[in-house]
Amino acid sequence: MERYDVIVVGAGPAGLSAAIETAKCGMRTVVFDENAKPGGQLFKQIHKFFGSKENKARIRGYRIGEELLAEAERSGVKVVLNATVMGLYAQKEITVRIGDAIKHYKADNVLIATGAAESVVRFPGWTMPGVIGAGAAQTMMNLHHIRPGKRILMLGSGNVGLVVSYQLLQAGCEVVALVDAAPRIGGYGVHAAKVSRCGVPFYLSHTIVQAEGTDHVTGVVIGEVGPDWKVIKGTEQHFDVDTICLAVGLSPMSQLLKQAGCAMKDTKGGYVPECDAYGRTSMDGIYVAGDVSGIEEASSAMLGGSIAGITIACDSGYLADGSEQIAKYEKALGNLRKGMFAPENRGKKITQTEEGIAISETLLECGYVADSEIERYPGVTHMEGVHPVIECTQNIPCNPCQDVCPKKCITIGNNITALPVVDSKSQCIGCGMCVAACSGQAIFLIQEDIGDGMGTVTIPYEFLPLPEKGQIGIALGRDGQPVCKAEVLDIKSSNAFDHTNLLTMKVPRDMVMRARFFKS
Amino acid sequence: MSERIMEHPILGITPEGKKVTFTFDGKELTGMEGEPIAMALKNAGVMVHRYTAKRHEPRGIYCAIGRCTDCVMIVDGKPNIRTCITPLAAGMEIQTQYGVEEKR
Repeated sequence: MERYDVIVVGAGPAGLSAAIETAKCGMRTVVFDENAKPGGQLFKQIHKFFGSKENKARIRGYRIGEELLAEAERSGVKVVLNATVMGLYAQKEITVRIGDAIKHYKADNVLIATGAAESVVRFPGWTMPGVIGAGAAQTMMNLHHIRPGKRILMLGSGNVGLVVSYQLLQAGCEVVALVDAAPRIGGYGVHAAKVSRCGVPFYLSHTIVQAEGTDHVTGVVIGEVGPDWKVIKGTEQHFDVDTICLAVGLSPMSQLLKQAGCAMKDTKGGYVPECDAYGRTSMDGIYVAGDVSGIEEASSAMLGGSIAGITIACDSGYLADGSEQIAKYEKALGNLRKGMFAPENRGKKITQTEEGIAISETLLECGYVADSEIERYPGVTHMEGVHPVIECTQNIPCNPCQDVCPKKCITIGNNITALPVVDSKSQCIGCGMCVAACSGQAIFLIQEDIGDGMGTVTIPYEFLPLPEKGQIGIALGRDGQPVCKAEVLDIKSSNAFDHTNLLTMKVPRDMVMRARFFKS
Repeated sequence: MSERIMEHPILGITPEGKKVTFTFDGKELTGMEGEPIAMALKNAGVMVHRYTAKRHEPRGIYCAIGRCTDCVMIVDGKPNIRTCITPLAAGMEIQTQYGVEEKR
């Protein structure tokens, strides 16, 4: 039996962040993970993260994973891979399956950061090959460079369903529909909007009736659900698809904690251990961090992990006073938990922004802000010359646009969830940093009049092949429908934009507030 | 019918791996060394990994991270191998699994 000061189970964002803190305090720390590679689910997150600088906002998830691994190595954290922790027992002992052997370890402190598993919903045909988890789709395309399918239907409009739908489009797949039984979109409006403008139709208040096929999926039938959540007869419609993706939530993998005897509770977010704000469970020396203690984002998992790590060091006497560090992480975590999607707002229908502006109903019900609604938001302004139009319409904790503007045209202020305001005396130089920095891809540069009755729209563009200068195509509206002919005037790529290309298209003047995507 | 992404707008050009051959139910296929067996099969258009014991229903990839065990197959004579997390090696013999054994 080997002994450590700290055993961490799970080498994802929470576990690694905790291990970095304990190792830095001189504690002998080991991390076990059942996977062949560390990083948990971070390496399949290829989108830019929300938040502020402290939360690594506007950095893509896989880069955050690389940084975290490098820091773990520098701090002297030992990571053991292909090692499945099978049991957690009283006295903080664990059994681990490594290869064909079961090994036994003991520590003064055990931190469980096992994360969560994808939930499923059942419908006729749900077990057929071709029905996959949304996380599986991410694993296939973003880690292994394999397209999960050609024509795909996504079930679930939470952030996972929205983000993965967009990533499927980036991988060259066709997403025929995004379906959710709920009457309103569950995830961030900006994530929905970027899928909508590519032409993916949303079917809210709809669910899957059945998957079709004999040996694998060849089609799917969806139908509208009534107030009793049952499918209304006669509303069924069929789609030819080869893949059905399920993004219907995550369940904490808390089995080890239950086995050890930690006090548990059944919550709406799953079966989780009772714990304090620092990750202490009911059992002395057993701690938790990340999704296993309640589903959140990777950014909050990292902060929660850091807090738990410092707490372990303090509780064990390796750190005399961690209060300053903890306060710093708590502040950052508090910021992430603010806004319309804050944990305390889950399930509530919010009709107004913090500023008192009506939330776009079309965005919640169809996935895009209607032309008639967009003008009421403070980031949407009209002025001479090139200027940003910020279609950020919900209070979410995110502020890179304010940070990156070299001319300070964009203001969010100290309240990180406030809607960005564009200064009416904007000195915009058209650099496009805000367009590329916006994790929600909600910023456009508009020049309303370039003469001859024409104007320009600059959009963030993350698809291949890149259109060429001079190419003529179709501009799509926020709803993904064609609005007018468009000519590509410029395509800008730069290291500073981090793979977000800036496509400038020329459209008729009266279309600059409608054209939001370019289709070759 | 390749499902491989050769160039990705964010991840760039897919690094070229080492091509290896293996067999699937006796038929020779190629894949990339070290990629999960399930990915090589997916790229070759194989969807069904096994049939269940009682109702003989087809199963394939579901979670792709080794949790659900839907994708298990017989690999080099050994049944119940999670193909989504088992790296492909040259010369591997992969077989569709029927219940917990090969087709009789």
